[in-house]
Amino acid sequence: MTRALVLASAISFAVVLVSPAERLTAQDDRSAIPRTSDGKPDFSGVWQTLGAADYDLEPHGTRKDAPPGLGIVDGGAIPYQPAALVQRHKNFAARATADPRSKCFTLGTPRGIYGGEPLQIFQRPRDLTLVYQFGHPVRTIHTNGTRHPEGTLDFWLGDSRGTWEGDTLMVDVTQFNGETWLDRSGNFHSDALHVVERWSFLDRNTISYAATLEDPKVYTRPWTLRVLLYRHREPGFQLIENYCYTLDYDEFYPVPGGGSHE
Amino acid sequence: MNRRVSALGSGLWALAGFRLVALGAALWLGPATAFAQGPASFRERTVPLIASGEWTGARLADGQPDVQGHWSNTIGNHNNFTDPQGGGPDEEQPRARGARADRAPSRVSDPPSGEVPFQPWARAKAAEFAAHLSNPTRPEFVEPLARCAPAGPTKSFMWHGYEIRQYPGYVLFLFDSGTRIVRLDDSPHLAASIKLWNGDSRGYWEGNTLVVEVANNNSKARLARTGEFASEKVQIKERYIFDPKGDRFTYEAVYTDPTVFTRPFTVTIPNKRITLDTPQDGWNNVTFRANRPGTDPIIEAWERVCVENNGPHGDVAAAAP
Repeated sequence: MTRALVLASAISFAVVLVSPAERLTAQDDRSAIPRTSDGKPDFSGVWQTLGAADYDLEPHGTRKDAPPGLGIVDGGAIPYQPAALVQRHKNFAARATADPRSKCFTLGTPRGIYGGEPLQIFQRPRDLTLVYQFGHPVRTIHTNGTRHPEGTLDFWLGDSRGTWEGDTLMVDVTQFNGETWLDRSGNFHSDALHVVERWSFLDRNTISYAATLEDPKVYTRPWTLRVLLYRHREPGFQLIENYCYTLDYDEFYPVPGGGSHE
Repeated sequence: MNRRVSALGSGLWALAGFRLVALGAALWLGPATAFAQGPASFRERTVPLIASGEWTGARLADGQPDVQGHWSNTIGNHNNFTDPQGGGPDEEQPRARGARADRAPSRVSDPPSGEVPFQPWARAKAAEFAAHLSNPTRPEFVEPLARCAPAGPTKSFMWHGYEIRQYPGYVLFLFDSGTRIVRLDDSPHLAASIKLWNGDSRGYWEGNTLVVEVANNNSKARLARTGEFASEKVQIKERYIFDPKGDRFTYEAVYTDPTVFTRPFTVTIPNKRITLDTPQDGWNNVTFRANRPGTDPIIEAWERVCVENNGPHGDVAAAAP
């Protein structure tokens, strides 16, 4: 290697501050990701996943009620304890009516991320606010150094506390209820669920999301799922509030008068 | 549904007789009537005048007046629209509450009579709802908020305390039941065929006042348990007038709907900031001290998800034929 090339490499390394392997993929230019005024990655925007994860996290062929999917679980299968696997099969058999999604209940964490409808992230130094279109619930990821509340709580989306490790947002999520499923096929968890999320930019319009799930009542070991979130870039795109849990009783609330007075 | 009472950091909830229902901190008090007026610590009988004008308080980096934080109305819940401290229509034996002048004024600030300027047929419809609230002989008489439906743009300010968060281009309202994302731009509203519980909001700042136009209302949420309502054709123009000191604001909403009312009318609701020093009462103040040992205490709100209500009015719904 010539002295000039060595020098050029050193300068390049120092300026870009990325590994040579990463420099090879110019489209993944991490210096170009959006950042907040305090220098953190800025995840503000409207995001949505693609794919069939919400139909079934595990690899599956096509079914009448599900498109095929490669699966998003590391290693392919969720490591259920034997009794939990039996429950999972029962859930699968009853999925058409037993999936809490069918009642538009809040999807939970991580299901809200890949649940199929867009979500909007609002970001401040102290927290990130996630508004999910489906059911329109709100999740706050606190990034202000606070800890989980003491005691036993049972939130649909869990209690989220985040820290930054470089450009990756690490989120510890606890205090779950046991009401939510992980997908439409009956994969599930208990109220002992503990989730660790990792949020990072793949490029400025794509978030790489990973969640490690630990649940001593249901799984034999922690396991990880991974999805990408794509930024909605359509001009004028916005969330449309979707309080779909009201659909079962919307019919009982016609606008009084029904126009007959006109 | 699971009704496990959670072990909270503060015992105040239990002392006050509140139940934390497992539906993600949907808060209910039994019996419902004890909730009706809100706790005395936050309750006021007057509506402070806050003038529209310049904003002289703190600003965010994008120039918006900084009004972020936790807030609550100061005159009571949605039991009674025009007599906010007069008790709801479902009281079997109304309590003595003294002279009308000793209670907070009507939320209808214009016309001066304090009455909603209903067309006769509409006034009769509202009265019919009120008369059936405690005996809902038809499903439509079950108040939709009791089923976790969002309260709608105005009634949301007549319910539990709520939070305002601000971002470049946005103001967020996080209510106990429902969320509003107010876009601060001049983009068009959603197509008129889309009707929403909380409508579609566009806003802008005018000095100390956030002006919001709310379109696409489905108008299914009654304005109060006394049955007041508008139609899908309603146009709602809100003005949030903030005191530059940052501790209060006035919510004003002008309702225009010629299909229901004889003239536009104005709703006025006073609001006060919730701070670390505000007593935790479970109604106005639904915040908690964040778990941050060794540093200055701060307050935060917890998840508020309501998807299958099992509170008092919901129980009525479940029992109804």
